[in-house]
Amino acid sequence: MFNSFKEKISEVLLPGDVFTFDLPDLASNVKPEKVICGPGLRRDGDDVRVCKCGILRHKPPNVFWIDSQQKRYVPVKGETVIGVVTAKSGDIFKVDVGGSELASLSYLAFEGATKRNRPNVQVGDLVFAQFIIANKDMEPELVCIDSCGRANGMGVFGEGGFLFRVSLGLVRRLLAPQSEIVADLSGLFPCELVVGLNGRVWVKAKSTQQTLILANLLESCENMTSNQRQALFKRVADGAL
Amino acid sequence: MDLSVHGVSPATREFGCEQNLLSRPDGSASFIQGNTSVLAGVYGPAEVKVSKEIYDRATLEVVMQPKIGLPGVRERAREQCVRETCEAALLSTLHPRSSLTLILQEVHDDGSLLACCLNAACMALMDAGLPMSCLFCGITCVIDTDGQIITDPTLQQEKESRALMTFAIDSTDKRVLMSSTKGSISIQELQEAIALSQKASHRIFEFYRGSVSRRYSKTLK
Amino acid sequence: MVKRYAATCTHVGNQNIMAEGFKTADPLEYHKSFLKENCRPDGRELDEFRTTTLNIGPISTAEGSALVKIGNTTVMCGIKAELAVPPSDTPDKGYIVPNVDMPPLCASKVRSGPPEEQAQAASQFIADIIETSEIIRKEDLCIEKEKLCWVLYCDIMCLDYDGNLLDTCIVALLAALKNTQLPKVTINKETDLPEVDLLKKCSISVNRHPVGSSFAVFDNTITIVDPTADEESLATAVMTLVIDEEGRLCSLHKPGGTALSGEKLQDCMGRAVTRHREISKLVDKILESIKK
Repeated sequence: MFNSFKEKISEVLLPGDVFTFDLPDLASNVKPEKVICGPGLRRDGDDVRVCKCGILRHKPPNVFWIDSQQKRYVPVKGETVIGVVTAKSGDIFKVDVGGSELASLSYLAFEGATKRNRPNVQVGDLVFAQFIIANKDMEPELVCIDSCGRANGMGVFGEGGFLFRVSLGLVRRLLAPQSEIVADLSGLFPCELVVGLNGRVWVKAKSTQQTLILANLLESCENMTSNQRQALFKRVADGAL
Repeated sequence: MDLSVHGVSPATREFGCEQNLLSRPDGSASFIQGNTSVLAGVYGPAEVKVSKEIYDRATLEVVMQPKIGLPGVRERAREQCVRETCEAALLSTLHPRSSLTLILQEVHDDGSLLACCLNAACMALMDAGLPMSCLFCGITCVIDTDGQIITDPTLQQEKESRALMTFAIDSTDKRVLMSSTKGSISIQELQEAIALSQKASHRIFEFYRGSVSRRYSKTLK
Repeated sequence: MVKRYAATCTHVGNQNIMAEGFKTADPLEYHKSFLKENCRPDGRELDEFRTTTLNIGPISTAEGSALVKIGNTTVMCGIKAELAVPPSDTPDKGYIVPNVDMPPLCASKVRSGPPEEQAQAASQFIADIIETSEIIRKEDLCIEKEKLCWVLYCDIMCLDYDGNLLDTCIVALLAALKNTQLPKVTINKETDLPEVDLLKKCSISVNRHPVGSSFAVFDNTITIVDPTADEESLATAVMTLVIDEEGRLCSLHKPGGTALSGEKLQDCMGRAVTRHREISKLVDKILESIKK
């Protein structure tokens, strides 16, 4: 069962491509293999069908998914995103995360918030928050605390920095463990970097000029190979740009 | 059906395609067939107007802009064809209560415009990363005065023909999703034209795969 | 009638309420449970059209008119003729301007304002049918080359919409054209002005007789003819075949939806041929009865 997937790893697949399997005989004592299908793969009867175009990725032991280049964000439970507070209504804030509808954020979902002690959140503020409800049939809901009630890096942020949008693929590359881009970037200027899985990136460096340089560099990483990127970063570090 | 029997091969003009060429839309593509060229942009899944909301699937809107002047009745009829074809391929139940907007801009018409619109639409939907159960492609055939079937005709060939047919064909079973015909056709001719289009669709789907692979080879390593 | 209903209402009423509830809660499943048994909620067979009624010439002020009902779907077609100068690229031809209108009264889904997409698509479809089937030879509409020709405005209005608009429109158009009578026009040689003789009227010759048959597809497997509005909205695809008396296709209009196999298409063609016979017979019968 694995083999039909393994053959295709790192290949570009298109919607409608099908993986078929020779199902093991139920009578024989072969233990069936399990495969976990991630984004872009759907079960269709006995087959698995690709529904997004992109590259097939594999994470041992048995997780497969399609890595696609997308711009529009669709909320997923557990993902951390950068949102903009657009309205206050009663007990909840409405937060724009770039999805198809606004997410709600309760004022009690901040560290140390109680009914008396409301968090100081204004319309227009940026929040770094995590989805606890995100499915196609319900309004998505954000929180700024983890399961222990700690902020854990989440909450209102964004004094004097710069927010911009990049593709979802680049965001995932930035957030990957031991990301090369982040390593290269940190060699340039000291900076604060907030990356939301919804394609929004916030940076802040010592001066406005440095902040803008960083933002432009990150945006240009979209379509560069690692060699091109390193060459560019080197030129910036040398003060050529 | 084997085409060598008929002694005709489905000749098509040179294809060209570029994805993700516009910065604002969530997905975009330009598709070129010979001198015919169409630009497509997709927005979504985005917020939907309450009046257009559908509780169990996404609302798809297709807007077709002609090269000159305002969209008229002809464009409306084409919009309907493209929209219903896309609806058949898209898994729109995965994004209920949201809106998908597809804008098609005619850049130049040198025949097979509806087919080119369908191809551009499919590439743009793919670029936007919307879930689809299969791909589709558009093919136009004309029957000339000698009774010969020509695939992917130019505007000149369209004008000289006595019948014109445009089909949308899906990638899994190579069956006809959409059909729009003009001119009087016998059943025999119709079936031949469908068989030819199915043959030509292989080439278009191969082209799709090639151009998507090229795009991904640039961005993801 | 009322009493009898009252007497049986406890039993039948409950069943009706159950069926109504089922229909509201899951309309698709409701329809499919009928289709499984090879019948439809309104009692028809899968390949059975609704009753088609035809009234030719109801509008006395128009040159030609017809009112067609297929089930509840009601369409009125009126034909107005005007004199005009022929278009410069075809100096020996008159022209025909069709328009399909769906006013807000015909269905609750239609709102006032600019015409619905469906109405516009239908207009284009009818225009294509007129063009490709050559229902009227446009040369016949020319009175004098480069000087004078007839323009036929075919206004088709849907009064009640319950599915299968295109078939109904084509029957209405065909019947109205068959009913059309144009006055004799001559050009006065001296004044160069047209003279209309309203007393001498003659019918225009209808060259071809296209008849449409619409089908709805459920899940690639079941095809039904003449779908109602409910069936149209639930079906995965709809298709309209238009054929003429020689059995040639004028149009295979399938604006998307799920795929249809070749064999199914063949079946549909067969049904369309018999439908053509039925409609021609009906139109001839009504025309005959008017003459009497």
